[in-house]
Amino acid sequence: MRVSEVAEKTGLSSLNEYQDKEVEGVYISDMVSDIITGAKANSILVTLQTHKSLIAAANLVDVAAIVFVRGKKPAADVVELATKAAIGLFVADVDTWSFALKLNEVGIR
Amino acid sequence: MVNLRHGYLVVEGCYKCKARSSFFSSEPTLPVDDYEDGEHHWIYLGSSQAVKFDLACDRCREVVNLDDMMGLMLSTCRDPECEVGRTAAQAGKGTWVYVALCADSTHASGKCVSEAGIKTLSEYFNANIKDPHKSIIVVPCIKCKSIDTCEGIVIADVGLTDIY
Repeated sequence: MRVSEVAEKTGLSSLNEYQDKEVEGVYISDMVSDIITGAKANSILVTLQTHKSLIAAANLVDVAAIVFVRGKKPAADVVELATKAAIGLFVADVDTWSFALKLNEVGIR
Repeated sequence: MVNLRHGYLVVEGCYKCKARSSFFSSEPTLPVDDYEDGEHHWIYLGSSQAVKFDLACDRCREVVNLDDMMGLMLSTCRDPECEVGRTAAQAGKGTWVYVALCADSTHASGKCVSEAGIKTLSEYFNANIKDPHKSIIVVPCIKCKSIDTCEGIVIADVGLTDIY
């Protein structure tokens, strides 16, 4: 399933232009040091963090998309960096657990 | 990725010579006291949660020790007088330059993250990238004109209590 399809099925709001990659997994973390050791290429990263360091970490491990939960939105310069890295940024109004359940329901595990 | 250790990256500064030094601590209580060390007087500047790791070859299991690397920074430097800035400026679209940061910003000893460490980090991150249009170049921080002024985004867990 591609990023755009996951976004549509789970009701995400898109924040930027991105490369519509095939999603291969999910990683949930609010720590960038954890992301570089645990997240895999083409995964969706679910987080509360919105700072630039997150994009630097996600780009290093080739994350396909980042979902900010609880309606959190990053600053314009963060969106700009993610767009340059072709990483899709999305906002979910629900909390991390509720969004994880949604991902599970649409078959992303 | 092997030998994962969780802890804190502690940054100190010498108020006499303005040098900056960092070390990894896995202690539950961070060492924040000032202390004298030769000509230096180190004071605590800050810390962030961090993870240390080494890299092992999947085939032969040889481990490349990365104890000399304190962190990674995505370079946004474009200073033509800085080797890292020149590398980043010359890198093609989709190529990203990350600076491997060592403990001593002065590089007074001439040492930095080992050549083997830099090569292995570069190979490891590129091997895990699936996007054919993306690549990573890892360079040691000794190549920065000045690591204290080099522009970049340090991958660090700062402000974790601010997210809520």
